[in-house]
Amino acid sequence: MVDAARQPLIDVMAYSDVERVDGYIGNFRAQVRRNPRYVLADRCNGCGACSRVCPIEVPNSFELDIAPRKAIDVPHGQAVPLIYQIDIDNCIKCYQCVTACGHLDAIDFSQKAEVVDLDIGAIVVATGFDSFDATKIPEFGYSRYPNVITAMEMERLANSAGPTIGHLVRPSDGKFPHSLAIIQCVGSRDKRFNEYCSGFCCMYSIKNALYLKQAHPEMDICIFYMDIRTPAKGYEEFYNRARQMGIRFIQGRPSQVTEDPVTHNLFVEVEDQALGQVIEMEAEMVCLAAAAIPRGDSEQVASMLTLSRSPSGFYMEYHPKLRPVDSPTDGIFLAGAIQGPKDIPASVAQGSAAASRAARVLSKDTWEIEPIVARVDAERCISAQGKKCGICARACPYGAITVEQGYAAVVTPAKCHGCGGCVAECPQDAIRQDHFTDAQVVAQLAVLLKDSPQEKILAFMCHWCSYGGADNAGTSHFEYPASSRGVRVMCSARMDQDFILDAFRRGAGMVLVSGCHPQDCHYITGQQVAARRFERIPRTLERMGINPERFRVEWISAAEGDKYARVITEMDAKLKSMDRGQIIAETARALPEINNRLKRWRSVPYMADLLTEPELEAVR
Amino acid sequence: MPVDDKLRVGVYICSCGANIGSVIDPAAVAEYASHLPDVVLARDYMYMCGDPGQNLIRKDIRQYKLNRVVVAACSVRMHEPTFRACVADAGLNPFLMEMANIREQDTWVHSKDPEGALLKAKELVAAAVAKVRHVFPLTTITVAVTKKAMVIGGGVAGISAALDLADMGIPTYLVEKELSIGGTMAQLNKTFPTMDCSI
Ligand SMILES: Cc1cc2nc3c(=O)[nH]c(=O)nc-3n(C[C@H](O)[C@H](O)[C@H](O)COP(=O)(O)OP(=O)(O)OC[C@H]3O[C@@H](n4cnc5c(N)ncnc54)[C@H](O)[C@@H]3O)c2cc1C
Ligand code: SF4
Ligand code: SF4
Ligand code: SF4
Repeated sequence: MVDAARQPLIDVMAYSDVERVDGYIGNFRAQVRRNPRYVLADRCNGCGACSRVCPIEVPNSFELDIAPRKAIDVPHGQAVPLIYQIDIDNCIKCYQCVTACGHLDAIDFSQKAEVVDLDIGAIVVATGFDSFDATKIPEFGYSRYPNVITAMEMERLANSAGPTIGHLVRPSDGKFPHSLAIIQCVGSRDKRFNEYCSGFCCMYSIKNALYLKQAHPEMDICIFYMDIRTPAKGYEEFYNRARQMGIRFIQGRPSQVTEDPVTHNLFVEVEDQALGQVIEMEAEMVCLAAAAIPRGDSEQVASMLTLSRSPSGFYMEYHPKLRPVDSPTDGIFLAGAIQGPKDIPASVAQGSAAASRAARVLSKDTWEIEPIVARVDAERCISAQGKKCGICARACPYGAITVEQGYAAVVTPAKCHGCGGCVAECPQDAIRQDHFTDAQVVAQLAVLLKDSPQEKILAFMCHWCSYGGADNAGTSHFEYPASSRGVRVMCSARMDQDFILDAFRRGAGMVLVSGCHPQDCHYITGQQVAARRFERIPRTLERMGINPERFRVEWISAAEGDKYARVITEMDAKLKSMDRGQIIAETARALPEINNRLKRWRSVPYMADLLTEPELEAVR
Repeated sequence: MPVDDKLRVGVYICSCGANIGSVIDPAAVAEYASHLPDVVLARDYMYMCGDPGQNLIRKDIRQYKLNRVVVAACSVRMHEPTFRACVADAGLNPFLMEMANIREQDTWVHSKDPEGALLKAKELVAAAVAKVRHVFPLTTITVAVTKKAMVIGGGVAGISAALDLADMGIPTYLVEKELSIGGTMAQLNKTFPTMDCSI
């Protein structure tokens, strides 16, 4: 901590919130709000004279509200930076602190929040974890029985820098607990709450038991566990030491904790797996190893940075095996427990890994980005002919397009992120997206739907989420029927209505359009542009005589392989339940209308050749 | 530019050890691909991404004057950068290479239906060939890099990232929402496995 403050190249911006992030790899701009401390950083020398005279006590979240702090204070003695702060909501404005501060004159009640813009080339997200709220398991009595505490509270109570100067005491009577029951997996490995293992709680419970046993050899300490997980280097030896020192380990998940209302002693009831019978232990204190859970604001931060979250809620890495610290967004990296529960050695290692991945970018003067941008064909744009349009500009999430009546729309390539939304929205087919042109997509449709199209599901997937979801189904080996044929584009916004109509024109049995969940979209609002378009499609199909049940829209994240497999399985079952002749008849009926709608498309380069009539056998 | 009569497509089917090869016969896919329009050669190989596999592509590009390449293997999210770099080494524009995903989206999910998986593999390869016949060379966009970093969150992970970045000479903003950096670790008593104090 102190090293970070001493390193001249690190600007520690504590008590600050990142409010907004724009830009792209190599060129991000972050808006950061520095909250007012009402104490001037460059004048406060951390002496604490103000705090000593302050008459007001307020809760201190650093001490988990076990002990208070003053209205002007630091959260703890080793705080970095060591600058005092006024809890302005509780301050009574007696100004005794101002007097105590004297000639240093560091206190400034007029201080305001300050918003600064930072230009940066890469970002490391290391926002950590929260602890599971143990009151959600009422059987354990947390918050009802004073002597049931959490492991985090234990850390403070056993801490010589903590509120009790390291003397472990019972909240009910301030006395030392002669017996302690520690309950593992509280909210972890429990299908009601979190399926995953929090990873480090076995080790910290053993640590606390060892520490207490060393200081108080007569203390009776018992750990109730499901499995002890100590796989890292030296950890099993640590566990063995605890066993040798006489700490008791009982396998079994306690069913309930009850309290003697007079002594406030606790009774832990558990089925001992070794004995195969229910036992009860009386303990003067119970400590709960609460699960590590994702940060409360992780969804908000994810949408600000276009990150994705795994089903557990922790942030998703680009690839679990090969790119474990890269986020799905180029130039943004993940470190520590935000990516999944991690102990300190693993968090430090991942922090270094993220730094080196970021330095890969930051050590260069320039970075190459994919040229998958939109380009306007000025001759086709009706704005150039003096007509009012600008549909493309309204679809663009990045404000990359300017349209002035009388001139063709202009795309600024450096601002374009290549979602393809404008391309799909332009009613004149006047914009193309390099590497995902209409011809490049339709050429694939023509091939995939050449033989037995009625038996196939044409699945449009976005690069970031649903294609990733389909990959995830693969890495998880979730089997599904082999009737789907995927076509990848960058964003669901690129999935042109004409693609969907063309797929049906060619006789596809089913069409799936799939993309990111709205909060995961890699192009801010690309998904919304797509969702609005897709909403209109069932009616369009119905009017043409195509059963709208043959069309499906699904938002599938890169972590939802199970969902991808399920969607295809369901669509396949639906398709099999339909009459093949009926599908062919629907196709034949809709053909003239679709052909008519796709007329303009024929003049787009290479499209005329691709839009030949579907082979008769396909609609036979 | 696209679809002219001088197109020369090379198609490579990866067996990925047993990952693809145990479900479908890569040679059968290659045989099928060899008849697709503009395909001048189609091969299968045990591991396309390994050095010998990549050398095969590079050698063929030079020897057979290939101007389009299709690699049917794993996901683009896995090896698109690999094969783009590979064809670029041999002087081909990297955007003239397309992949067909016959592992994650085929053999790994249809292992109980090898026939269906084979048909799907063939059609995915045909689709990639169809696309690659319409692609054209692109030049990557070069952007300047602002040589500064921001770390969000000043726990032990964020501090460690910020220190390493700064030690490499990169100015770093360490943004922490609480009054002090340190995160959870600062609240801990002794820490395992060393049992030393946390701060
Ligand atoms: C009771 C207990 C005991 C433990 N004991 C040990 C032990 O002995 N040994 C061990 O190796 N591990 C131990 N651990 C695990 C250890 O706490 C973690 O490994 C470590 O804290 C993870 O570090 P981190 O930096 O990823 O996250 P954190 O420590 O959670 O730090 C995240 C930081 O980011 C800040 N932040 C969050 N959101 C934002 C935002 N939006 N903007 C700006 N800043 C933000 C937070 O305020 C915090 O400072 C213990 C954990 C618990 C719960
Ligand atoms: S580390 Fe141990 S206590 Fe924590 S969830 Fe995993 S098994 Fe349970
Ligand atoms: S949507 Fe198409 S026609 Fe309309 S302004 Fe944009 S490019 Fe021109
Ligand atoms: S809508 Fe998408 S593709 Fe079109 S200019 Fe904007 S970012 Fe680029």
